[in-house]
Amino acid sequence: MAGEEKPKGGGADAWDATQWHVVQKGETLSKISKKYYGDPNLYMKIFEANKDILKNPDLIKVGQKLRIP
Amino acid sequence: MKSKRILVAVLCVALGIALMSCASNKEPAAAAIKTAEDALNAVKGEAMKYVPDKVKAVEDAITAAKGSFDKKDYDTALNTAKAIPDKVKELATAAATKKAELTKGWEELSAGLPKMLDAVKSRLDILSKSKKLPANLDKAKLEGAKSGYEAAVKMWDDAKTHFSGGNLTDAMAKAATVKEKTVEVMKTLGMQVPEAATKG
Repeated sequence: MAGEEKPKGGGADAWDATQWHVVQKGETLSKISKKYYGDPNLYMKIFEANKDILKNPDLIKVGQKLRIP
Repeated sequence: MKSKRILVAVLCVALGIALMSCASNKEPAAAAIKTAEDALNAVKGEAMKYVPDKVKAVEDAITAAKGSFDKKDYDTALNTAKAIPDKVKELATAAATKKAELTKGWEELSAGLPKMLDAVKSRLDILSKSKKLPANLDKAKLEGAKSGYEAAVKMWDDAKTHFSGGNLTDAMAKAATVKEKTVEVMKTLGMQVPEAATKG
């Protein structure tokens, strides 16, 4: 799936089950929410999981790596 | 005639020597069998958990030595029993190696599986609130994933119980099943599977 970050193998992180998405051009949190949850209205779940790097749910940047809970 | 008598006498003496020689090994054979049994009993409990097939091979050797002893073939009994302590040492080494291998596997899985189960739970919780489902996921698949997750959680609890009870073999077997089940659920939900979980 486009934007999905492949899990990295080897070392202690080989078991890391965190789900990642790399923001593509034209994407919004709602679009990403629709992609993973089927429901764009659940975008706040993604925002809450990425509060360390996102200040505003409407402001995401291409290339940003987001956790998808 | 005289030579015939001499021959008979020589044969009788030879037979007597052979019988005495054989009978003289009775005590050493009995001692060797006891030593073999004691050696096996010292490691049997632990070895049965990890290398039961090798334990059976040693038990078979002891049975063979006892069989020879019962037939009064003390030489064979002694020779068979004398070889057993070395087999018991090999058995103990094999059991320790297997235990170390299972312990390492358990440590790895017990660190990794909870992360996978947590990730699945998080996704299932959100998908349960979703008014629509993502592409490639329908209600039936979601329900199947929920059941699979619940089964995996229960199996993981069982695995931990086996581990706490010192049963590493069963703990690892359960953990491997949990891994397979969780990977299956993650794939159904379209989630990324940790690379470590995709290996044998």
